[in-house]
Amino acid sequence: METAAAFYTSGMTELLTFGDLLSRHEREIFVYALRLTGDRDDADDIYQETFLAAFKGWPPPRRGQERAWLYRIATNKVIDRARRAKRLVRMDDLRLAAPERDGVSLADLGAAVKVLPEGQRAAFVLRKVQGLDYADVARALECSEEAARSRVAEAMKKVREAMK
Amino acid sequence: MIGDGKGGAAATTEVLMTDARERLLVRARRDGLETVGYRVVDSPLGPLWIAVGPKGVLTIHYGAEPSQGELARIVRTYGPGVLPDPRRADPVARELDQYFNGRRRAFDVAFDLAGLTDFQRRILAATARVPFGDVSTYAKVAARAGSEKASRAAGQALGANPIPIVVPCHRILASDGTMGGYSGGLDAKRVLLRLERGSVPKATQYR
Repeated sequence: METAAAFYTSGMTELLTFGDLLSRHEREIFVYALRLTGDRDDADDIYQETFLAAFKGWPPPRRGQERAWLYRIATNKVIDRARRAKRLVRMDDLRLAAPERDGVSLADLGAAVKVLPEGQRAAFVLRKVQGLDYADVARALECSEEAARSRVAEAMKKVREAMK
Repeated sequence: MIGDGKGGAAATTEVLMTDARERLLVRARRDGLETVGYRVVDSPLGPLWIAVGPKGVLTIHYGAEPSQGELARIVRTYGPGVLPDPRRADPVARELDQYFNGRRRAFDVAFDLAGLTDFQRRILAATARVPFGDVSTYAKVAARAGSEKASRAAGQALGANPIPIVVPCHRILASDGTMGGYSGGLDAKRVLLRLERGSVPKATQYR
């Protein structure tokens, strides 16, 4: 528990437990997984694998960036799975995670799931649907902010084309 | 368009989530990841935050949230897996309820004093032997724990009792019969003594 001790004393006094992280972020990670995969069973698996990995990999690498850390784990799980199998988008399942933000419709999301490769899809959903700022999108995708911006822009272009 | 049935979708997502979380906890346990379950219960003394670990009740805290010190003890002992888990805390919640309703005089649930010093554990073990309705003193508890002159230290150990009520530190008074201290406040101590004895002991009575 030495690394954990360092984590807990790294500037912030409040103790953070895995349970705190779970209650704060489980819903958004589950919905994110659903939005990326369009399949409730896949989302369920990704949710579980993400939080199991976080539990096993405790503590989070940086205090204050736990959310981006969870998104990074979840995104990598989605990409790993996509390499293994080709999916069908189930609109009924996607509807469970209908975007709650202005400017992105369920149809946009459906198009994103259908036409975008995993990396771009993750960038699109993180920024436009989950509402992460570019710093956190970059952390989740393990790339620079600039790269994150261009991935999102590229993804937006493709989604708009697909919607024509 | 999307607005229609959105409430239903949200409800379904909740159901899926609850399901997924239960399976997550099962998988964590199967993978050997230790968890501590907690819940908050209502009591005549206000909300109590209760945590149960693999070996028994770890914490009963006066208030809806644990202190950082108590949480640190749990995390030091069992790692970061401190999760809301009402079912796990059900047995102790039930016994507390019976106790407060006058239907229970002793607790059967196991409790876990891991993470405390040897001295604290001895003091708390001696305290746990003071029966329902009885009272003792810090000096006597210290003596029973094998440290006759350590009544002040005994008071401190009891002040840091992580499992009040079940480990009945409210039954321990100062040697002059005054109330001494209590982590839940002296009013709570009086309520518990009145519940068990019908009245609060008068000073000097238990010299």
